[in-house]
Amino acid sequence: MLAFVVALLVYMYIATAGQLTRDAATAADQEYAALERAYAEGGIRRLNQEVVERASRQGPFLYMLADANGELITGDFRRLPVTPGEAEQRVDFQFEREVGENEVDRGRALGRVGRLLGGPILLVARDLGDNAAIVQRITRVLYTVAILGLVLSVASGLLASGQAARRAEALSNTAHDVMAGDLSRRAPVRGAGDEFDALAEDMNAMLDRIERLVHTTRTAGDAIAHDLRSPLTRFQQRLESALDAPPDSEADRNALRKAVEEADKILAMFQAVLKVSRVETAANWRFEEVDVTALARELAEFYEPAAEEVGLSFKADIADGLTVMGEDGLVTQALSNLIENAFKYTPEGGRVEVRARAGGEHFIRVSVMDDGPGVPFEERERVTERFVRLESARSSQGVGLGLALVSAVARLHKGQLELNDGLGSGDRPGLDATLVLPRTAPQR
Amino acid sequence: MRVLLVEDDNDMAQALRGSLEGDDHSVEWARDGEEGETKALGGAYDVIVLDRMLPKKHGTHVVRALRDRGVSTPVLILSALHDEDHRIEGLDAGANDYLGKPFSTRELLARVRALWHGRDPVAPQTKLAVGDLDMDLLGRTVHRAGKKIDLQPREFRLLEYLMRHAGQTVTRKMLLENVWDYHFDPQTNVIDVHISRLRSKIDKEYPGTLLHTVRGSGYRLEA
Repeated sequence: MLAFVVALLVYMYIATAGQLTRDAATAADQEYAALERAYAEGGIRRLNQEVVERASRQGPFLYMLADANGELITGDFRRLPVTPGEAEQRVDFQFEREVGENEVDRGRALGRVGRLLGGPILLVARDLGDNAAIVQRITRVLYTVAILGLVLSVASGLLASGQAARRAEALSNTAHDVMAGDLSRRAPVRGAGDEFDALAEDMNAMLDRIERLVHTTRTAGDAIAHDLRSPLTRFQQRLESALDAPPDSEADRNALRKAVEEADKILAMFQAVLKVSRVETAANWRFEEVDVTALARELAEFYEPAAEEVGLSFKADIADGLTVMGEDGLVTQALSNLIENAFKYTPEGGRVEVRARAGGEHFIRVSVMDDGPGVPFEERERVTERFVRLESARSSQGVGLGLALVSAVARLHKGQLELNDGLGSGDRPGLDATLVLPRTAPQR
Repeated sequence: MRVLLVEDDNDMAQALRGSLEGDDHSVEWARDGEEGETKALGGAYDVIVLDRMLPKKHGTHVVRALRDRGVSTPVLILSALHDEDHRIEGLDAGANDYLGKPFSTRELLARVRALWHGRDPVAPQTKLAVGDLDMDLLGRTVHRAGKKIDLQPREFRLLEYLMRHAGQTVTRKMLLENVWDYHFDPQTNVIDVHISRLRSKIDKEYPGTLLHTVRGSGYRLEA
């Protein structure tokens, strides 16, 4: 801070002094030019007159007129300070002249000297004396400003560091409270827009995520326990029936067969949970170019008979040349989850459409749209969490991981899942579930 | 069929052994990678079922070693890590099939049989036949009892796979992986719908069912 102020002052000094000097030189040049014109119009006599007249004005200019040999004709000085060459030149010299009795005017002058046509030498210079006074005054002002600035910056520094200590303490307190178990605490953001606020905001974002993860884990534990309870109970009941029934009887085989079905369902549930976890952990996935156009077309063809089977009209509209960097299997799984959801929740006679196109220059949008009941606006955030199933879906099968996986896959691919109204209308707007993924140019 | 089972988890091994023996196979058991490799080199087995995570020598390294020594016995890898990378790694090492845990035993049994049946490919076939169903692989046509059947490309591929595994139980997962190259788990009965479409084309109007449903497992094409 201090260094900056000093540098600023030095710059200002140099700039001011420099400007004044330049102005002086320019003024002297103009004066010289005026006298040159006078000489051109009226010869040496006229020039002599002018010089005498102007010198007598006691202005800021100093004059000298000499003959071709340098002998004084008239002027403020007895001798030329400099012998001019052929061309005009800048002259910068210290002078001394008598101004009245026993008074000597000393100083620095800056101007021009040259040989006029026909021989006489003309010198015009501006006395920089008053400039020096101006610069001195400015310098004094600058020193005052500098000292004031120094005092202020020290004071504000002390103030800031006191504040800084307090801000750091606030953040530290928040961290301690969280560690003690209160996950809902957040760091205060003062609105000053400084590094402390930035740090507090980052910390809060981190805490949000942690709270969400902990919540998900707790919910997941509850949800798994809840959702597993029924199949596991049925599993046990079937096995008990098998034990009770006479061995190798029809009842026995039936019970065992049903037990195996329940076991399959439980295993499928675990598979799904593991998959979502693996995608969310985001390690070890090797990305390569995925031809989304081909993938979507094949998947639509794969699902088309299933749509017909449940009485849905199914359409696919896939643009050419859509590619992303990603994992083929995951994108396939995500899209298939969306399609299967659409089939599950759209009643007979409805419509399901798969659309894939570019979304601006940098993204592709793969959408599955239906005209089923849709997802209410306020539930759209929640429904992509694990194990969340809407009340309206209570009666159908499933564990609530479909959209969680799609969302996780989208995030892994640096994209996102968007949920909007679909193909329906009114109070059954349907759902438009769109995977937005950053695209790459096809490398072919 | 003689099966070599290489599995370090005792409980898992006992359960698998039980299932394999129940399916009429004789089972030899190795507890770690080195023992597995030694036994595989020394004995003559029809199929090797190998866990990926093994003590002493890693499953994929065992497979690679066997292939380097010219052992061409079909290998099925079982693994708790079955994402795409590890699957490809296993197949690159020389394994023939890859099944992720948790798996259903019936899935395993179906795949073990499929490996055995597919082990000695005869000279490249141009025709497949099951009962009075004929498939011309070059002309991409199918006839039953002499009458031509119109199939979509995907239906043709599905039927081809079933015919190549005629007489064996083929699971939905096997169909999903081999006919469509999909490794996700569909929650709906999509495969069943494809099968029923195929059935309506090749079975419905003909005497004698060829395409059977195997309850709890999958399907089988058999005269």
